[in-house]
Amino acid sequence: MSGKFFLYRMILALGVLATLLGAVARAQTPLPMDAAFRLAAHRDAGGPLRLEWQIEPGYYLYRDRISVAGGDRPVAITAPPGESKDDPNFGPSEIYRDRVSIPLETSAPRSGVVRVTYQGCAEDSICYPPVTKALDLATLALTDVETGLGFRTQTASVAAVAPAGTGLPTPPASSLMTGSLALTLASFLGFGLLLSLTPCVFPMIPILSGMLARAGENLSARRGFVLSTVYVGAMALAYGVLGLAAAWSGQNLQVVLQAPWALGLMAAVFVILALSMFGLFELQVPARWAGWIARRNGTRAGSVAGAAGLGFGSALIVGPCVTPPLAAALLYVAQTGDGLRGAAALFALGLGMGLPLIVFGTFGSRVLPKSGPWLMRVKQAFGVVFLGLAAVLLLRALPEEFALPVWGAGALGVAVFLGAFDGLTAATGWVRRLEKTAGLALAIYGAALIVGFAGGGTDPLRPLAFLGGAGPVVAVVPQTLTVRSEAALDQALAAAKAEGRPILVSFTADWCTVCKSNDRVLAEPGLAAPLSGVTFIKADVTRNGEDSRRLMQRFGVVGPPTMFLLNAAGSELAGSRMIGAIAGNDFAQRLEHAVSTGSQAPTDSIFPEWSPS
Amino acid sequence: MNRRFFLGTAASLLASSAIVLDGLPAIAKGVDVNAVLNDPEAPTGGNPRGDVTIVAFFDYNCPYCKTSAADLARVVKEDGKIRLVYKDWPILTESSVQGAQFALAANYQGKYETAHHALMGISGRGVTGDTMLEAIQASGVDMKRLQADLTAHGPKISALMQRNLAQAEGLGMNGTPTYLIGPFRASTLDYDGFKEAVAEARRRQAAN
Repeated sequence: MSGKFFLYRMILALGVLATLLGAVARAQTPLPMDAAFRLAAHRDAGGPLRLEWQIEPGYYLYRDRISVAGGDRPVAITAPPGESKDDPNFGPSEIYRDRVSIPLETSAPRSGVVRVTYQGCAEDSICYPPVTKALDLATLALTDVETGLGFRTQTASVAAVAPAGTGLPTPPASSLMTGSLALTLASFLGFGLLLSLTPCVFPMIPILSGMLARAGENLSARRGFVLSTVYVGAMALAYGVLGLAAAWSGQNLQVVLQAPWALGLMAAVFVILALSMFGLFELQVPARWAGWIARRNGTRAGSVAGAAGLGFGSALIVGPCVTPPLAAALLYVAQTGDGLRGAAALFALGLGMGLPLIVFGTFGSRVLPKSGPWLMRVKQAFGVVFLGLAAVLLLRALPEEFALPVWGAGALGVAVFLGAFDGLTAATGWVRRLEKTAGLALAIYGAALIVGFAGGGTDPLRPLAFLGGAGPVVAVVPQTLTVRSEAALDQALAAAKAEGRPILVSFTADWCTVCKSNDRVLAEPGLAAPLSGVTFIKADVTRNGEDSRRLMQRFGVVGPPTMFLLNAAGSELAGSRMIGAIAGNDFAQRLEHAVSTGSQAPTDSIFPEWSPS
Repeated sequence: MNRRFFLGTAASLLASSAIVLDGLPAIAKGVDVNAVLNDPEAPTGGNPRGDVTIVAFFDYNCPYCKTSAADLARVVKEDGKIRLVYKDWPILTESSVQGAQFALAANYQGKYETAHHALMGISGRGVTGDTMLEAIQASGVDMKRLQADLTAHGPKISALMQRNLAQAEGLGMNGTPTYLIGPFRASTLDYDGFKEAVAEARRRQAAN
């Protein structure tokens, strides 16, 4: 065999091999971003925090596209020099292959959340959009924040030939928190005002007016203004503290506030307030404080301090139905890690929510009775309302079925106070007769609730529904899988992915009342069809432990109820996240949209990857 | 220069013919393939009555898009029976979004491909919006008209980009460029690669 012939054969063989390899390489669908670049964070004992990427062969990261930011400030990193890649279509670039480890400067914060952004390509194939992950510096847990630019609808302008900026689209989260402080505060104030239009703020009105009623006879508009302003100021302050804490910890404070012990404590406070309303005793601030405050502003001190305390407390506990929007606000704040800005923003939110209350406290107080036996009745009414609020708080910590007997007993009690069982005479006036009518109606409803409880009913609007059919009406919630830890979730996700259907993930907790009403919506017959197309996973975060925290962190969930859809590949569908109460129609639409776009796993089923034959 | 290959095809921008490809279900697994192939707003090139459709998903700061754009243009021109659909999918940098807006606005004066190739002709992966505008200006696009169209049609352009984004995500695309060639998908291809893929697409369509 001549050397020349051998060489020829070698070249031929190499050529065939190269063609084959090329064919194999090209036939492969580029990996999803997270599979191509696997990021992890480590902290060696005493050393700096290190970000480490494992990069698949044939993929690379750009050195200049790796950045870390806490709040709106960049965090310094010391990126090692990379391999230089100079190609006319790239311009000079430094890239990393295989593996890269980047330490954060030692001056970097050691707690809070930073955002890590990076971008790369598959060699001779595709370039990926930038990906951003949130890194919790305390636990080193990583969560997806956003993939892509999240570009929205800002229109560019030719005027940008002059460097006048072209209104670059930025994700809403950062724009709201990175703009001027005044703008942020104004936005949150407006947001709060909007919130005050929701029924969420209604519970505060009886509390405030109960307090004003207690202030007694000489309640002037000015006095009402002072008291309600103090009340609202304290409420806003409570939100401000919440914002500060959220910004610092990034943790879910709502969960802490919804823990059974916190609910029990607050329920107890409301029972005490109610008893005070019934005249069992007068609530008074210790004389020493009262004297101190009296010396300070020369007014009746107890009420001012009381207003402050009540405002602070009710903001935290009474407004849980504000959870969804508050969650959104806290999420923004927590992501910035900027304590002062977060506190100011949430203070503005609370102030906005309270402004109507101040108006009410100032002008509405004139409507309140000034003196006489009427005042007693009004106080009693507020006592009843406070007891009701205590019941609402307690029920949040109790299983659902207890709602019926508790409300039933309450309704019977109110009926008795309305004189449902007191006798009438021929001379009885019409007001008294109306009262008795209302009382009797309430008594019957209360009895029905208790009977309903005994019969296994759970729906306070249809307590006796169990009489109609065989056994209690059980809401037909679609087949669900409940997980309580990240490991269980991973298992459930893997199983769901195998089915190739979109996945509905719902964060829920026993104490979350809105979650329960959402469950009722999900059981509506109209949703059966769209729900049958998805796999339904419930993440139960009732217990406020490490497992729940990790679950929520993984998806950047601030609190239940939060629902979102994952496509069959396991990534969240943009725009699918729903926080708070859901409406059947809207939900059905989102589901259908998800089923139509999300079923398509990134596989080759339509448009298979082309490979040269 | 690639642009040359496309100058004669401006008329085709107006025509978006409805080609029904045999062997492709109109709606497969929820992604409306017909909407991907025949979005009336999406700029098109090549032969409006071509027998093979190539749909290009790209970004103006994507180096591999730039590498393959020239080869694609050459294949489309030489073949003569390829219909090309442009899907501006700006995902890599913020200026990519501006670039896409400029190019799509140029479509209103019938100069989409002029702008497209001007942008694809700038090398580098961190091209700023200003540099992009200069290149478009140099390519002979009427800048006054461009601004007017951006202002008048801004929301429409954004909606088109959103649709492109949804389609790309729905089809499970990971990044740019991604090409749909007849029944196949591909990432970066060279001249021969495009030719082979088109030939295979024709064979596949004939078989069905």
